[in-house]
Amino acid sequence: MRFESINTLYEAALRDERIVFITGDFGHPRTEDFKKNLGGRYMNAGMSEQHIIGMAAGLALEGMKVFVYSIVPFITLRCFEQIKVDVCYHNTDVTIIGAGGGFAYGAAGGTHYAIEDIAALRALPRMKVIVPSSPWETRMLMPQIIAAGGPTYLRIGRGKEIDFGENEAPTLGRSQVLRKGSDATIFFAGPIGKEALDAAEILKQCDLDVEVISMHTIKPIDRDAIALRAGNRRAIFTLEEHSVLGGLGSAVAEILAELPEHPVFLRFGVQDTWPVLFGSQTYLRNAMGISAMHVAEKIKKVLL
Amino acid sequence: MMSALTHEHIRDLEHTAKNIRRTILEIIFRAKSSHIGCSLSAADILTALYFNVMKIDPRHPQKDDRDRLVMSKGHAVSGLYAALAERGFFPQEKLKEYGTEGTNLASHVVRGSVPGTETSNGSGGHGLSLGVGIALALRNKKNNTRVFVLSGDGELQEGSVWEALLSGATHVLDNLTLIVDRNRFQDGQDGNGTDQILALEPLDKKFEAFGWETETIDGHSFIELIPALMRHSKRPRVIIANTIKAKGVPFMEGRPEWHGKCPDEDQYNLALKELAH
Repeated sequence: MRFESINTLYEAALRDERIVFITGDFGHPRTEDFKKNLGGRYMNAGMSEQHIIGMAAGLALEGMKVFVYSIVPFITLRCFEQIKVDVCYHNTDVTIIGAGGGFAYGAAGGTHYAIEDIAALRALPRMKVIVPSSPWETRMLMPQIIAAGGPTYLRIGRGKEIDFGENEAPTLGRSQVLRKGSDATIFFAGPIGKEALDAAEILKQCDLDVEVISMHTIKPIDRDAIALRAGNRRAIFTLEEHSVLGGLGSAVAEILAELPEHPVFLRFGVQDTWPVLFGSQTYLRNAMGISAMHVAEKIKKVLL
Repeated sequence: MMSALTHEHIRDLEHTAKNIRRTILEIIFRAKSSHIGCSLSAADILTALYFNVMKIDPRHPQKDDRDRLVMSKGHAVSGLYAALAERGFFPQEKLKEYGTEGTNLASHVVRGSVPGTETSNGSGGHGLSLGVGIALALRNKKNNTRVFVLSGDGELQEGSVWEALLSGATHVLDNLTLIVDRNRFQDGQDGNGTDQILALEPLDKKFEAFGWETETIDGHSFIELIPALMRHSKRPRVIIANTIKAKGVPFMEGRPEWHGKCPDEDQYNLALKELAH
Protein backbone atom coordinates (compact mmCIF):
# COMPACT_ATOMS: atom_id res chain seq x y z
CA MET A 1 0.00 0.00 0.00
CA ARG A 2 2.99 2.30 0.52
CA PHE A 3 4.08 1.60 -3.02
CA GLU A 4 0.62 2.10 -4.52
CA SER A 5 -0.13 5.35 -2.68
CA ILE A 6 3.28 6.93 -3.21
CA ASN A 7 3.62 5.71 -6.78
CA THR A 8 0.25 7.17 -7.77
CA LEU A 9 1.14 10.37 -5.99
CA TYR A 10 4.44 10.60 -7.82
CA GLU A 11 2.76 10.13 -11.20
CA ALA A 12 0.19 12.80 -10.30
CA ALA A 13 2.91 15.19 -9.10
CA LEU A 14 4.61 14.98 -12.49
CA ARG A 15 1.43 16.34 -14.08
CA ASP A 16 0.21 18.68 -11.33
CA GLU A 17 2.68 21.34 -10.26
CA ARG A 18 0.69 22.12 -7.14
CA ILE A 19 1.51 18.78 -5.54
CA VAL A 20 4.08 18.86 -2.72
CA PHE A 21 5.26 15.75 -0.90
CA ILE A 22 6.77 15.98 2.59
CA THR A 23 8.10 12.95 4.41
CA GLY A 24 8.93 12.94 8.09
CA ASP A 25 12.11 11.02 7.35
CA PHE A 26 10.15 7.90 6.47
CA GLY A 27 11.27 5.89 3.49
CA HIS A 28 9.30 5.07 0.38
CA PRO A 29 9.87 3.40 -2.96
CA ARG A 30 10.16 6.47 -5.19
CA THR A 31 12.62 8.54 -3.17
CA GLU A 32 15.13 8.98 -5.96
CA ASP A 33 12.45 9.91 -8.50
CA PHE A 34 10.93 12.52 -6.19
CA LYS A 35 14.35 14.00 -5.46
CA LYS A 36 15.37 14.04 -9.08
CA ASN A 37 12.20 15.27 -10.73
CA LEU A 38 10.20 17.32 -8.24
CA GLY A 39 12.83 19.76 -6.98
CA GLY A 40 11.49 21.88 -4.15
CA ARG A 41 8.17 20.00 -4.18
CA TYR A 42 9.79 17.08 -2.38
CA MET A 43 11.02 17.53 1.17
CA ASN A 44 12.32 15.31 3.90
CA ALA A 45 11.46 17.50 6.88
CA GLY A 46 12.86 15.16 9.49
CA MET A 47 11.37 14.32 12.86
CA SER A 48 9.44 17.56 13.26
CA GLU A 49 5.86 16.50 12.84
CA GLN A 50 4.23 19.52 14.50
CA HIS A 51 6.21 21.73 12.18
CA ILE A 52 5.50 19.52 9.16
CA ILE A 53 1.76 19.92 9.57
CA GLY A 54 2.01 23.70 10.06
CA MET A 55 4.35 24.05 7.09
CA ALA A 56 2.06 21.88 4.96
CA ALA A 57 -0.88 24.12 5.85
CA GLY A 58 1.16 27.22 5.02
CA LEU A 59 2.05 25.78 1.61
CA ALA A 60 -1.60 24.89 1.02
CA LEU A 61 -2.73 28.41 1.94
CA GLU A 62 -0.66 29.53 -1.05
CA GLY A 63 -2.39 27.10 -3.39
CA MET A 64 -0.29 23.94 -3.11
CA LYS A 65 -1.77 20.43 -2.69
CA VAL A 66 0.27 18.96 0.10
CA PHE A 67 0.80 15.32 1.10
CA VAL A 68 2.63 14.53 4.31
CA TYR A 69 3.84 11.06 5.08
CA SER A 70 5.18 9.16 8.07
CA ILE A 71 4.35 6.35 10.48
CA VAL A 72 0.83 6.76 11.87
CA PRO A 73 1.48 7.69 15.53
CA PHE A 74 4.01 10.36 14.66
CA ILE A 75 2.10 12.08 11.86
CA THR A 76 -1.29 11.97 13.59
CA LEU A 77 -1.30 12.07 17.39
CA ARG A 78 2.10 13.71 17.89
CA CYS A 79 0.84 16.72 15.96
CA PHE A 80 -2.88 16.38 16.57
CA GLU A 81 -3.49 19.99 17.53
CA GLN A 82 -1.68 21.21 14.42
CA ILE A 83 -3.97 18.95 12.37
CA LYS A 84 -6.98 20.39 14.15
CA VAL A 85 -6.01 24.06 13.77
CA ASP A 86 -3.69 24.34 10.78
CA VAL A 87 -5.38 21.75 8.57
CA CYS A 88 -9.02 21.39 9.61
CA TYR A 89 -9.82 24.84 11.00
CA HIS A 90 -8.03 26.51 8.07
CA ASN A 91 -9.60 23.98 5.68
CA THR A 92 -6.30 23.46 3.88
CA ASP A 93 -5.62 20.99 1.08
CA VAL A 94 -3.42 18.71 3.16
CA THR A 95 -3.55 14.92 3.02
CA ILE A 96 -1.92 12.97 5.81
CA ILE A 97 -0.67 9.57 4.72
CA GLY A 98 -0.08 7.44 7.79
CA ALA A 99 1.73 4.15 7.26
CA GLY A 100 1.55 1.17 9.58
CA GLY A 101 -2.14 1.10 10.56
CA GLY A 102 -3.10 -1.14 13.47
CA PHE A 103 -0.43 -3.65 14.45
CA ALA A 104 1.57 -3.49 11.21
CA TYR A 105 4.64 -2.74 13.35
CA GLY A 106 3.84 -5.71 15.55
CA ALA A 107 7.21 -6.42 17.13
CA ALA A 108 8.05 -2.73 17.47
CA GLY A 109 5.77 -2.35 20.48
CA GLY A 110 3.13 0.11 21.58
CA THR A 111 4.92 3.30 20.51
CA HIS A 112 4.44 2.23 16.90
CA TYR A 113 0.90 0.86 17.08
CA ALA A 114 -1.96 2.79 15.56
CA ILE A 115 -5.14 1.79 17.34
CA GLU A 116 -6.62 5.17 18.29
CA ASP A 117 -5.78 7.29 15.26
CA ILE A 118 -9.13 6.85 13.49
CA ALA A 119 -11.05 7.80 16.62
CA ALA A 120 -8.99 10.95 17.03
CA LEU A 121 -9.01 12.14 13.44
CA ARG A 122 -12.64 11.22 12.80
CA ALA A 123 -13.64 13.74 15.47
CA LEU A 124 -12.16 16.68 13.56
CA PRO A 125 -14.66 18.70 11.50
CA ARG A 126 -13.85 18.66 7.75
CA MET A 127 -11.48 15.69 8.03
CA LYS A 128 -12.09 12.76 5.70
CA VAL A 129 -10.83 9.38 6.92
CA ILE A 130 -9.87 6.77 4.33
CA VAL A 131 -8.67 3.26 5.23
CA PRO A 132 -8.09 1.09 2.14
CA SER A 133 -7.85 -2.64 2.64
CA SER A 134 -5.37 -3.76 0.02
CA PRO A 135 -2.75 -2.59 -2.45
CA TRP A 136 -5.36 -2.91 -5.19
CA GLU A 137 -7.95 -0.83 -3.35
CA THR A 138 -5.30 1.79 -2.56
CA ARG A 139 -4.33 2.01 -6.22
CA MET A 140 -7.98 2.40 -7.20
CA LEU A 141 -8.80 5.03 -4.58
CA MET A 142 -5.64 7.10 -4.74
CA PRO A 143 -6.56 9.19 -7.82
CA GLN A 144 -9.93 9.95 -6.20
CA ILE A 145 -8.22 10.95 -2.96
CA ILE A 146 -5.84 13.26 -4.83
CA ALA A 147 -8.71 14.81 -6.78
CA ALA A 148 -10.93 15.28 -3.71
CA GLY A 149 -8.18 17.09 -1.81
CA GLY A 150 -7.73 17.62 1.88
CA PRO A 151 -8.24 17.75 4.76
CA THR A 152 -7.83 13.99 4.44
CA TYR A 153 -6.35 11.24 6.55
CA LEU A 154 -5.27 8.19 4.55
CA ARG A 155 -4.31 5.25 6.73
CA ILE A 156 -2.33 2.58 4.92
CA GLY A 157 -0.36 -0.50 5.88
CA ARG A 158 3.33 -1.05 6.20
CA GLY A 159 4.00 -2.53 2.79
CA LYS A 160 3.48 -6.24 3.28
CA GLU A 161 -0.25 -6.27 2.55
CA ILE A 162 -1.73 -8.63 0.02
CA ASP A 163 -4.49 -8.21 -2.51
CA PHE A 164 -7.85 -9.80 -1.81
CA GLY A 165 -11.40 -9.33 -2.87
CA GLU A 166 -10.71 -7.47 -6.12
CA ASN A 167 -14.01 -6.42 -7.50
CA GLU A 168 -15.41 -3.56 -9.45
CA ALA A 169 -13.50 -0.33 -8.89
CA PRO A 170 -14.23 1.26 -5.51
CA THR A 171 -15.66 4.77 -5.17
CA LEU A 172 -14.59 7.17 -2.46
CA GLY A 173 -17.39 7.61 0.07
CA ARG A 174 -19.19 4.41 -0.95
CA SER A 175 -18.78 1.04 0.70
CA GLN A 176 -17.64 -1.91 -1.38
CA VAL A 177 -19.17 -5.40 -1.18
CA LEU A 178 -16.32 -7.92 -1.38
CA ARG A 179 -18.41 -11.00 -0.70
CA LYS A 180 -22.13 -11.41 -1.01
CA GLY A 181 -24.23 -12.92 1.77
CA SER A 182 -27.69 -12.59 3.25
CA ASP A 183 -27.62 -13.75 6.90
CA ALA A 184 -25.28 -11.17 8.35
CA THR A 185 -22.87 -8.44 7.32
CA ILE A 186 -19.32 -7.73 8.45
CA PHE A 187 -18.26 -4.14 7.82
CA PHE A 188 -14.49 -3.85 8.02
CA ALA A 189 -11.79 -1.28 7.27
CA GLY A 190 -8.18 -1.92 6.34
CA PRO A 191 -6.03 -4.99 5.63
CA ILE A 192 -7.82 -6.83 8.47
CA GLY A 193 -10.49 -7.42 5.81
CA LYS A 194 -8.65 -10.58 4.84
CA GLU A 195 -9.61 -11.95 8.27
CA ALA A 196 -13.24 -10.99 7.62
CA LEU A 197 -13.25 -12.88 4.31
CA ASP A 198 -11.61 -15.90 5.94
CA ALA A 199 -14.18 -15.78 8.74
CA ALA A 200 -16.99 -15.74 6.17
CA GLU A 201 -15.45 -18.81 4.55
CA ILE A 202 -15.34 -20.64 7.89
CA LEU A 203 -18.96 -19.68 8.58
CA LYS A 204 -20.05 -21.01 5.21
CA GLN A 205 -19.24 -24.48 6.52
CA CYS A 206 -22.00 -23.94 9.10
CA ASP A 207 -24.40 -22.80 6.37
CA LEU A 208 -24.10 -19.19 7.41
CA ASP A 209 -24.13 -16.81 4.49
CA VAL A 210 -22.12 -13.76 5.56
CA GLU A 211 -21.63 -10.62 3.54
CA VAL A 212 -18.28 -8.80 3.76
CA ILE A 213 -18.06 -5.07 3.05
CA SER A 214 -15.04 -2.80 2.86
CA MET A 215 -15.73 0.56 4.53
CA HIS A 216 -12.63 2.14 3.05
CA THR A 217 -14.20 5.53 3.63
CA ILE A 218 -14.90 5.76 7.33
CA LYS A 219 -15.74 9.46 7.10
CA PRO A 220 -17.99 10.52 5.50
CA ILE A 221 -19.51 7.10 6.14
CA ASP A 222 -21.83 5.30 3.73
CA ARG A 223 -24.93 5.66 5.86
CA ASP A 224 -27.28 4.16 3.29
CA ALA A 225 -25.32 0.91 3.09
CA ILE A 226 -25.58 0.49 6.86
CA ALA A 227 -29.27 1.42 7.04
CA LEU A 228 -30.06 -1.03 4.24
CA ARG A 229 -28.46 -3.95 6.12
CA ALA A 230 -30.16 -2.90 9.35
CA GLY A 231 -33.44 -3.75 7.68
CA ASN A 232 -32.61 -7.12 6.17
CA ARG A 233 -29.84 -8.88 8.16
CA ARG A 234 -30.01 -11.03 11.27
CA ALA A 235 -26.85 -9.42 12.62
CA ILE A 236 -24.33 -6.72 11.82
CA PHE A 237 -20.66 -6.85 12.79
CA THR A 238 -17.69 -4.54 12.47
CA LEU A 239 -14.07 -5.60 12.31
CA GLU A 240 -11.11 -3.24 12.53
CA GLU A 241 -7.48 -3.17 13.62
CA HIS A 242 -8.22 -0.30 15.98
CA SER A 243 -9.75 0.28 19.37
CA VAL A 244 -13.46 -0.49 19.62
CA LEU A 245 -13.72 3.04 21.00
CA GLY A 246 -14.22 5.64 18.32
CA GLY A 247 -13.29 3.82 15.13
CA LEU A 248 -15.33 2.06 12.45
CA GLY A 249 -17.32 0.12 15.08
CA SER A 250 -18.37 3.34 16.73
CA ALA A 251 -19.15 5.01 13.40
CA VAL A 252 -21.46 2.13 12.41
CA ALA A 253 -22.98 2.01 15.91
CA GLU A 254 -23.80 5.72 15.68
CA ILE A 255 -25.84 5.08 12.53
CA LEU A 256 -27.55 1.96 13.85
CA ALA A 257 -28.43 3.48 17.22
CA GLU A 258 -30.36 6.28 15.56
CA LEU A 259 -32.47 3.97 13.40
CA PRO A 260 -35.95 2.97 14.70
CA GLU A 261 -34.72 -0.61 14.95
CA HIS A 262 -31.69 -2.63 14.09
CA PRO A 263 -30.52 -6.24 14.39
CA VAL A 264 -27.96 -7.63 16.82
CA PHE A 265 -24.74 -5.64 16.57
CA LEU A 266 -21.21 -6.54 17.70
CA ARG A 267 -17.88 -4.78 17.29
CA PHE A 268 -14.64 -6.68 16.75
CA GLY A 269 -11.59 -4.59 17.50
CA VAL A 270 -9.00 -3.96 20.15
CA GLN A 271 -10.64 -3.78 23.55
CA ASP A 272 -9.61 -0.91 25.76
CA THR A 273 -6.23 -2.44 26.48
CA TRP A 274 -2.52 -2.54 25.54
CA PRO A 275 -0.86 -5.70 24.30
CA VAL A 276 1.82 -6.74 26.78
CA LEU A 277 3.41 -9.47 24.67
CA PHE A 278 4.81 -8.71 21.25
CA GLY A 279 5.11 -10.45 17.92
CA SER A 280 4.03 -10.22 14.30
CA GLN A 281 0.83 -8.55 13.11
CA THR A 282 -0.71 -12.03 12.83
CA TYR A 283 0.34 -12.84 16.40
CA LEU A 284 -1.19 -9.63 17.70
CA ARG A 285 -4.45 -10.06 15.80
CA ASN A 286 -4.74 -13.46 17.47
CA ALA A 287 -3.82 -12.09 20.87
CA MET A 288 -6.40 -9.30 20.56
CA GLY A 289 -9.18 -11.62 19.37
CA ILE A 290 -9.58 -10.12 15.90
CA SER A 291 -8.35 -12.99 13.74
CA ALA A 292 -10.66 -14.91 11.37
CA MET A 293 -10.97 -17.80 13.83
CA HIS A 294 -12.01 -15.58 16.76
CA VAL A 295 -14.43 -13.61 14.63
CA ALA A 296 -16.02 -16.77 13.17
CA GLU A 297 -16.42 -18.38 16.60
CA LYS A 298 -18.17 -15.34 18.07
CA ILE A 299 -20.43 -14.90 15.05
CA LYS A 300 -21.46 -18.55 15.32
CA LYS A 301 -22.50 -17.95 18.93
CA VAL A 302 -24.63 -15.02 17.85
CA LEU A 303 -26.26 -16.65 14.83
CA LEU A 304 -26.58 -20.32 15.72
CA MET B 1 5.67 54.91 1.69
CA MET B 2 9.00 53.28 2.36
CA SER B 3 10.72 56.61 1.71
CA ALA B 4 13.44 58.00 3.97
CA LEU B 5 12.25 58.45 7.52
CA THR B 6 11.73 62.08 8.32
CA HIS B 7 10.65 63.54 11.64
CA GLU B 8 7.30 64.14 10.02
CA HIS B 9 6.95 60.47 9.09
CA ILE B 10 7.78 59.43 12.60
CA ARG B 11 5.23 61.90 14.00
CA ASP B 12 2.62 60.47 11.64
CA LEU B 13 3.40 56.94 12.71
CA GLU B 14 3.23 57.88 16.37
CA HIS B 15 -0.11 59.55 15.74
CA THR B 16 -1.39 56.42 13.97
CA ALA B 17 -0.12 54.17 16.76
CA LYS B 18 -2.00 56.26 19.27
CA ASN B 19 -5.21 55.88 17.23
CA ILE B 20 -4.66 52.13 17.15
CA ARG B 21 -4.08 52.04 20.90
CA ARG B 22 -7.30 53.99 21.49
CA THR B 23 -9.22 51.59 19.27
CA ILE B 24 -7.74 48.61 21.14
CA LEU B 25 -8.86 50.12 24.40
CA GLU B 26 -12.34 50.97 23.08
CA ILE B 27 -13.14 47.60 21.58
CA ILE B 28 -11.82 45.65 24.55
CA PHE B 29 -13.72 47.85 27.01
CA ARG B 30 -16.92 47.64 25.00
CA ALA B 31 -16.63 43.88 24.56
CA LYS B 32 -15.62 43.32 28.22
CA SER B 33 -12.83 41.35 26.66
CA SER B 34 -9.16 40.90 27.60
CA HIS B 35 -5.60 40.74 26.22
CA ILE B 36 -5.14 44.50 26.41
CA GLY B 37 -1.49 44.40 27.52
CA CYS B 38 -0.21 42.23 24.67
CA SER B 39 -2.21 44.19 22.08
CA LEU B 40 -0.82 47.51 23.32
CA SER B 41 2.74 46.13 23.39
CA ALA B 42 2.42 45.13 19.74
CA ALA B 43 0.77 48.37 18.58
CA ASP B 44 3.96 50.05 17.33
CA ILE B 45 5.12 46.90 15.54
CA LEU B 46 1.75 46.62 13.79
CA THR B 47 1.82 50.31 12.93
CA ALA B 48 5.31 50.02 11.41
CA LEU B 49 4.25 46.97 9.37
CA TYR B 50 0.92 48.25 8.05
CA PHE B 51 1.81 51.94 7.64
CA ASN B 52 5.34 51.73 6.32
CA VAL B 53 7.00 48.37 5.77
CA MET B 54 4.55 45.93 4.24
CA LYS B 55 3.63 46.01 0.59
CA ILE B 56 -0.17 45.85 0.85
CA ASP B 57 -3.24 47.28 -0.81
CA PRO B 58 -6.30 47.46 1.45
CA ARG B 59 -8.55 47.64 -1.63
CA HIS B 60 -7.09 44.35 -2.89
CA PRO B 61 -6.39 42.37 0.25
CA GLN B 62 -5.90 39.10 -1.68
CA LYS B 63 -3.50 40.46 -4.26
CA ASP B 64 -0.87 37.87 -4.99
CA ASP B 65 2.10 40.19 -4.58
CA ARG B 66 1.16 41.42 -1.11
CA ASP B 67 3.41 40.90 1.88
CA ARG B 68 1.87 38.50 4.39
CA LEU B 69 1.58 38.84 8.15
CA VAL B 70 0.97 35.68 10.17
CA MET B 71 -0.41 36.85 13.50
CA SER B 72 1.01 34.04 15.60
CA LYS B 73 0.09 35.90 18.77
CA GLY B 74 -3.56 35.56 17.79
CA HIS B 75 -4.72 36.63 21.24
CA ALA B 76 -3.58 40.18 20.42
CA VAL B 77 -6.23 40.29 17.73
CA SER B 78 -7.70 43.59 18.93
CA GLY B 79 -4.37 45.16 17.89
CA LEU B 80 -4.61 43.55 14.47
CA TYR B 81 -8.28 44.53 13.99
CA ALA B 82 -7.45 48.11 15.02
CA ALA B 83 -4.48 48.30 12.63
CA LEU B 84 -6.41 46.80 9.70
CA ALA B 85 -9.35 49.14 10.22
CA GLU B 86 -7.03 52.14 10.60
CA ARG B 87 -5.33 51.16 7.35
CA GLY B 88 -8.68 50.94 5.57
CA PHE B 89 -9.09 47.19 5.08
CA PHE B 90 -12.63 47.55 6.44
CA PRO B 91 -14.69 50.33 8.05
CA GLN B 92 -14.04 51.22 11.70
CA GLU B 93 -17.79 50.71 12.16
CA LYS B 94 -17.25 46.96 11.82
CA LEU B 95 -15.29 46.94 15.07
CA LYS B 96 -18.45 47.72 17.03
CA GLU B 97 -19.40 44.09 16.48
CA TYR B 98 -16.44 42.88 18.50
CA GLY B 99 -17.71 40.98 21.52
CA THR B 100 -21.32 40.78 20.31
CA GLU B 101 -23.27 37.55 19.80
CA GLY B 102 -22.97 36.11 16.31
CA THR B 103 -20.03 38.29 15.25
CA ASN B 104 -17.33 36.99 12.94
CA LEU B 105 -14.79 38.94 14.98
CA ALA B 106 -13.52 36.33 17.41
CA SER B 107 -11.15 37.27 20.21
CA HIS B 108 -8.45 35.29 18.44
CA VAL B 109 -7.62 35.87 14.79
CA VAL B 110 -9.59 33.87 12.19
CA ARG B 111 -8.43 33.75 8.58
CA GLY B 112 -10.75 35.66 6.27
CA SER B 113 -13.06 36.87 9.05
CA VAL B 114 -12.26 40.41 7.93
CA PRO B 115 -10.11 41.44 4.96
CA GLY B 116 -6.41 41.27 5.76
CA THR B 117 -6.43 38.32 8.16
CA GLU B 118 -4.12 35.70 6.64
CA THR B 119 -4.26 32.84 9.16
CA SER B 120 -6.18 31.58 12.17
CA ASN B 121 -4.16 31.69 15.37
CA GLY B 122 -4.85 31.51 19.05
CA SER B 123 -2.99 28.39 20.08
CA GLY B 124 0.60 29.47 20.67
CA GLY B 125 3.52 28.31 18.55
CA HIS B 126 1.66 27.65 15.29
CA GLY B 127 2.51 30.81 13.37
CA LEU B 128 6.13 30.24 12.47
CA SER B 129 5.47 26.87 10.81
CA LEU B 130 2.64 28.40 8.80
CA GLY B 131 5.04 31.19 7.90
CA VAL B 132 7.70 28.72 6.77
CA GLY B 133 5.16 26.99 4.51
CA ILE B 134 3.90 30.28 3.07
CA ALA B 135 7.46 31.52 2.49
CA LEU B 136 8.44 28.26 0.79
CA ALA B 137 5.40 28.37 -1.50
CA LEU B 138 6.05 32.01 -2.43
CA ARG B 139 9.68 31.26 -3.19
CA ASN B 140 8.69 28.26 -5.32
CA LYS B 141 6.25 30.48 -7.21
CA LYS B 142 9.02 33.08 -7.63
CA ASN B 143 6.71 35.51 -5.88
CA ASN B 144 9.08 38.12 -4.56
CA THR B 145 7.09 39.13 -1.49
CA ARG B 146 7.90 38.90 2.19
CA VAL B 147 6.38 36.96 5.05
CA PHE B 148 6.31 38.38 8.57
CA VAL B 149 5.37 36.32 11.61
CA LEU B 150 4.48 38.25 14.75
CA SER B 151 4.98 36.09 17.80
CA GLY B 152 4.64 36.67 21.50
CA ASP B 153 7.57 35.73 23.70
CA GLY B 154 5.53 33.35 25.85
CA GLU B 155 4.67 31.16 22.89
CA LEU B 156 8.39 30.60 22.25
CA GLN B 157 8.03 28.02 25.02
CA GLU B 158 6.29 25.75 22.49
CA GLY B 159 8.63 23.17 20.96
CA SER B 160 7.03 23.55 17.54
CA VAL B 161 8.59 27.04 17.27
CA TRP B 162 12.06 25.55 17.53
CA GLU B 163 11.24 22.90 14.92
CA ALA B 164 10.20 25.72 12.62
CA LEU B 165 13.41 27.65 13.37
CA LEU B 166 15.43 24.60 12.31
CA SER B 167 13.38 24.42 9.13
CA GLY B 168 13.63 28.12 8.27
CA ALA B 169 17.41 27.93 8.48
CA THR B 170 17.59 24.63 6.56
CA HIS B 171 15.62 26.14 3.69
CA VAL B 172 17.49 29.48 3.95
CA LEU B 173 14.21 31.40 3.85
CA ASP B 174 15.46 34.91 3.18
CA ASN B 175 11.87 36.07 2.60
CA LEU B 176 10.81 35.24 6.18
CA THR B 177 11.07 37.52 9.22
CA LEU B 178 10.04 36.53 12.72
CA ILE B 179 9.20 39.42 15.03
CA VAL B 180 9.14 38.63 18.72
CA ASP B 181 7.03 41.00 20.79
CA ARG B 182 9.30 40.68 23.82
CA ASN B 183 7.06 42.12 26.51
CA ARG B 184 8.35 39.60 29.06
CA PHE B 185 4.94 38.57 30.34
CA GLN B 186 2.49 35.85 29.43
CA ASP B 187 -0.71 34.86 31.25
CA GLY B 188 1.33 34.37 34.44
CA GLN B 189 -1.55 34.70 36.88
CA ASP B 190 0.87 33.86 39.67
CA GLY B 191 2.65 37.14 38.88
CA ASN B 192 5.64 35.45 37.27
CA GLY B 193 7.12 36.86 34.09
CA THR B 194 7.97 34.76 31.06
CA ASP B 195 11.59 34.17 32.02
CA GLN B 196 10.65 33.14 35.54
CA ILE B 197 8.16 30.62 34.17
CA LEU B 198 10.40 29.07 31.50
CA ALA B 199 13.55 31.03 30.84
CA LEU B 200 14.20 32.16 27.28
CA GLU B 201 17.44 34.10 27.80
CA PRO B 202 19.89 34.34 26.22
CA LEU B 203 17.28 34.57 23.47
CA ASP B 204 19.35 36.32 20.80
CA LYS B 205 22.10 33.73 21.13
CA LYS B 206 19.55 30.93 20.77
CA PHE B 207 18.20 32.38 17.52
CA GLU B 208 21.72 32.99 16.21
CA ALA B 209 22.70 29.42 17.10
CA PHE B 210 19.68 28.23 15.10
CA GLY B 211 21.05 30.06 12.05
CA TRP B 212 18.79 33.09 11.97
CA GLU B 213 20.13 36.61 11.60
CA THR B 214 19.09 38.24 14.84
CA GLU B 215 18.61 41.86 15.74
CA THR B 216 17.43 43.24 19.07
CA ILE B 217 15.67 46.59 19.02
CA ASP B 218 13.35 48.88 20.96
CA GLY B 219 9.93 47.74 19.79
CA HIS B 220 8.42 51.13 20.52
CA SER B 221 10.87 53.19 18.49
CA PHE B 222 10.00 53.67 14.82
CA ILE B 223 13.55 54.81 14.19
CA GLU B 224 14.65 51.32 15.16
CA LEU B 225 11.60 49.32 14.02
CA ILE B 226 11.45 50.45 10.44
CA PRO B 227 15.04 49.89 9.31
CA ALA B 228 15.06 46.55 11.15
CA LEU B 229 11.86 45.44 9.42
CA MET B 230 13.02 46.70 6.02
CA ARG B 231 16.40 45.03 6.17
CA HIS B 232 16.98 42.06 3.87
CA SER B 233 19.44 39.30 4.46
CA LYS B 234 20.52 36.07 2.83
CA ARG B 235 19.19 34.24 5.89
CA PRO B 236 15.84 34.26 7.67
CA ARG B 237 15.68 37.07 10.20
CA VAL B 238 14.49 37.45 13.77
CA ILE B 239 13.76 40.80 15.28
CA ILE B 240 13.56 40.72 19.05
CA ALA B 241 11.44 43.79 19.69
CA ASN B 242 11.82 44.71 23.35
CA THR B 243 8.46 46.07 24.39
CA ILE B 244 6.52 47.05 27.47
CA LYS B 245 3.34 45.21 28.21
CA ALA B 246 0.39 47.63 27.89
CA LYS B 247 2.69 50.34 26.50
CA GLY B 248 0.99 53.72 26.24
CA VAL B 249 -1.17 53.54 29.35
CA PRO B 250 1.22 54.26 32.24
CA PHE B 251 -0.85 52.75 35.04
CA MET B 252 -1.09 49.46 33.11
CA GLU B 253 2.47 49.34 31.79
CA GLY B 254 4.52 46.31 32.76
CA ARG B 255 1.82 44.99 35.06
CA PRO B 256 1.05 41.33 34.35
CA GLU B 257 -2.60 41.49 35.39
CA TRP B 258 -3.39 43.48 32.21
CA HIS B 259 -2.90 40.32 30.18
CA GLY B 260 -6.28 39.03 31.24
CA LYS B 261 -8.08 41.95 32.86
CA CYS B 262 -10.65 44.30 31.34
CA PRO B 263 -10.60 47.91 32.55
CA ASP B 264 -13.59 49.24 34.51
CA GLU B 265 -15.16 52.54 33.47
CA ASP B 266 -12.88 54.76 35.57
CA GLN B 267 -9.78 52.94 34.36
CA TYR B 268 -11.03 53.14 30.79
CA ASN B 269 -11.59 56.89 30.95
CA LEU B 270 -8.22 57.42 32.59
CA ALA B 271 -6.54 55.30 29.91
CA LEU B 272 -8.25 57.23 27.11
CA LYS B 273 -6.92 60.45 28.64
CA GLU B 274 -3.41 59.03 28.54
CA LEU B 275 -3.86 58.28 24.87
CA ALA B 276 -5.30 61.66 23.87
CA HIS B 277 -3.48 63.42 21.04
